[in-house]
Amino acid sequence: MRCLAVSARIPWIIKYRPKTLSEYIDQEEAKNTLINWLKRFPSVDKRAVLLYGPPGVGKTTLVECLAHDFKYDLIEMNASDFRRSKDIDRVAIKSADKLSLAGKGKLILLDEVDGIYEKVDAGSVGAILELIKNTKFPIIMTANDPWANQLRELRENVIMIELKKLGKKEILEILKRICVAEKIQCSDEALGYIYELSNGDLRSAINDLQTVAEGFGRVDLDLAKTILRRRDRELDPFETLRNIFSARYAWQARVAISQSNLDRDMLIQWLNENLPRQIQDPEDLWRAYESLSKATVYLSRIVRTGDWDLLSYAIDLMGPGVSFSIKKIEKDKWRWVKYSFPEKIRELSRTREQREVIYSLASVIASREHISRNKARTDVIPYLRIIFQNNIEEAAKLVLGLGLSDNMVKILAGEKSGEILKRVKEYQKLIREEARKSEEIKEVKKTPEKKSVEKREKEERKTQAAGLDRWWKK
Amino acid sequence: MSEALTQILWTEKYRPRSLKEVVNQKEIVARLMKFVEEKNMPHLLFAGPPGVGKTTVALALARDLYGENYHRYVLETNASDERGIEVIRTKIKEFARTAVPEGVAFKIVILDEADNMTADAQQALRRLMEMYVDTTRFILLANFPSKIIEPIQSRCAVFRFMPLNKEDVVERLKYIAKNEKVDYEEEALETIYEISEGDMRKAINILQASAALGKVTVEVVYKVVGLAHPKEVKEMIQLALSGKFLESREKLRKLMIEYGLSGLDVVKQMHREIFSSDVNLPEDIKVTLADYIGEINFRLAEGADEEIQLSALLARLSVIGTKLGLSKPSEVPSRKR
Repeated sequence: MRCLAVSARIPWIIKYRPKTLSEYIDQEEAKNTLINWLKRFPSVDKRAVLLYGPPGVGKTTLVECLAHDFKYDLIEMNASDFRRSKDIDRVAIKSADKLSLAGKGKLILLDEVDGIYEKVDAGSVGAILELIKNTKFPIIMTANDPWANQLRELRENVIMIELKKLGKKEILEILKRICVAEKIQCSDEALGYIYELSNGDLRSAINDLQTVAEGFGRVDLDLAKTILRRRDRELDPFETLRNIFSARYAWQARVAISQSNLDRDMLIQWLNENLPRQIQDPEDLWRAYESLSKATVYLSRIVRTGDWDLLSYAIDLMGPGVSFSIKKIEKDKWRWVKYSFPEKIRELSRTREQREVIYSLASVIASREHISRNKARTDVIPYLRIIFQNNIEEAAKLVLGLGLSDNMVKILAGEKSGEILKRVKEYQKLIREEARKSEEIKEVKKTPEKKSVEKREKEERKTQAAGLDRWWKK
Repeated sequence: MSEALTQILWTEKYRPRSLKEVVNQKEIVARLMKFVEEKNMPHLLFAGPPGVGKTTVALALARDLYGENYHRYVLETNASDERGIEVIRTKIKEFARTAVPEGVAFKIVILDEADNMTADAQQALRRLMEMYVDTTRFILLANFPSKIIEPIQSRCAVFRFMPLNKEDVVERLKYIAKNEKVDYEEEALETIYEISEGDMRKAINILQASAALGKVTVEVVYKVVGLAHPKEVKEMIQLALSGKFLESREKLRKLMIEYGLSGLDVVKQMHREIFSSDVNLPEDIKVTLADYIGEINFRLAEGADEEIQLSALLARLSVIGTKLGLSKPSEVPSRKR
């Protein structure tokens, strides 16, 4: 809607953006930490700061105010700029010369570093780390989600400073100040409503205020309610599940899926984990599982056929289908339940190593026995387990005969593996000794007779091969 | 003797190397020996239940044709490990199209568990069999030849392998036992035959595991067979029937994650358990369940999420258990409300 406003008008978020630290209200703790750090720079432990917090709390603005007050040139990059490590190198070069033309120092701002994607932006994090190591100037980074995986290494090399969500008092104060400056009548209830919608995001609150005010010259509750819609926010896993289970209409369950911050496969795992926690009646539970099960059948058909038209049926089954399975105990739809993270995923990552060992064990057996890996797992490994858990001697011999690794022994033998591996070492020693002995005997006793036997065997093999050739050429 | 300090699986150790050593499937072996004599053979399809010697005979044939270095002229692949069309288009095609080495009339592709191939993979295979027939002969091995498409069947000489009879299996087990100096009861070997249903590989595996426990007696054989099947399957079914869904799901995860069983393995074992005497269900309910288990099996084969399909099955068991009153009311909170 703001797009319709006259383009010459400046958005209020820019017009009323604080320019100096004295105009920047709240966030005292973060402000003071930053000021002290900059004052001591470069004699500081860490030459970079990661400033994090939810959107619209003033991260970038704070950095701009700091640059202003400390008289730094601000060198700014954001996520779209550091897609490649060479872009970051460019900044490094730019900031390498000591002072800018105006004789000022520099402050490097890397905005939205959580927008780096591990896979796409290969090397970016490494380049940033390099930059931190060599920089002569302070570096400040911002992020909404500092715990993102790709930032792990970065976190260890920076000072972490949090900006908190703004409270009601602060946001109302700022909104009122703007109303006064713009000479607009604003009711307290309307501002309160705008605050509620903003959820502590000052930027969105100011945008909303401008949206209502510019169109009508006044801001009251009725106008605010008609014009402003709640922003479509992503649902976290817990909200997603709650909205699906409690849906009164099919569309509500579908919307919950489309707004979820979980991707489809993850959502299915969350549902799978939590169906039996939410649904108590066995029949309801079975119905729900039937529905979820069929959803996954459709999804696998999509994978096989590439026919994405099938997706909407899968969504119907995993959302509304699950929701309206609850018939016998309707209260279950709204029952408060503490949902759990999909245990299966945790289990899978915990046991990944173990499963890899089983896979390679199955491969070893499969190629020796001329069977499939699957058959090796179901038809052979169970018997090997029995041998390994009951007969150390035989197990040790099999380890040597089949060439099994220590990890494979652990999988097969469990707590007996120590004894078996010890026995394996003993056998290996014996085998080596015997080999040495027979080697010595051979040296001494290599009689002409034996040599001729060897020679004869060799010749036989040769004629055999020749025979084979003739045989085939016929 | 250093040989005494190492051991391999007896199924490998006692696999006949040459067609001459194969004692069963006499008619088939006689015909195949003719191929060796004539140094020529058509494409072959070996059909029959598991463990009756299909792979053994195929390998023995190859060895009799090419000698000890037969590996050079033979490509072995297993369709259940690589069931898609990709392996046909790449690995098998690459092998088939390369020229025949000097002195050899043709190469051989042994395709095990060929009935596990997808339909489009079979179509691709059929073309390869035609195009490269001069240089490459195929030996397809299958449990269920009906799952092999008609055009392939018609291009092959089909050999039906019969289940092994009791004398043959017991004789072989005795031979192995003597060679390995295993103490055994005659009756125990018969029990092994009964349990393995004529599957020689399974019989030999049971014998080797039993021997590891000491003297091979009937009791030991039963113990080994019991140990080989995870007891969790039965426990999982019982828990589900008594309405303890979450606990039964934990067993399911143990089976799939720790034991590494596939969804299909679990479904098949559940099917077996439900029809066994240990699970006390009315006969008509067992049949209803068989239908549903089949449906779940089908969904798994379509590639749907394994744990969810099996959870649906466990939830169904809970419903049945509740209806039959197998669960105590206190364990089903729903009843109280």
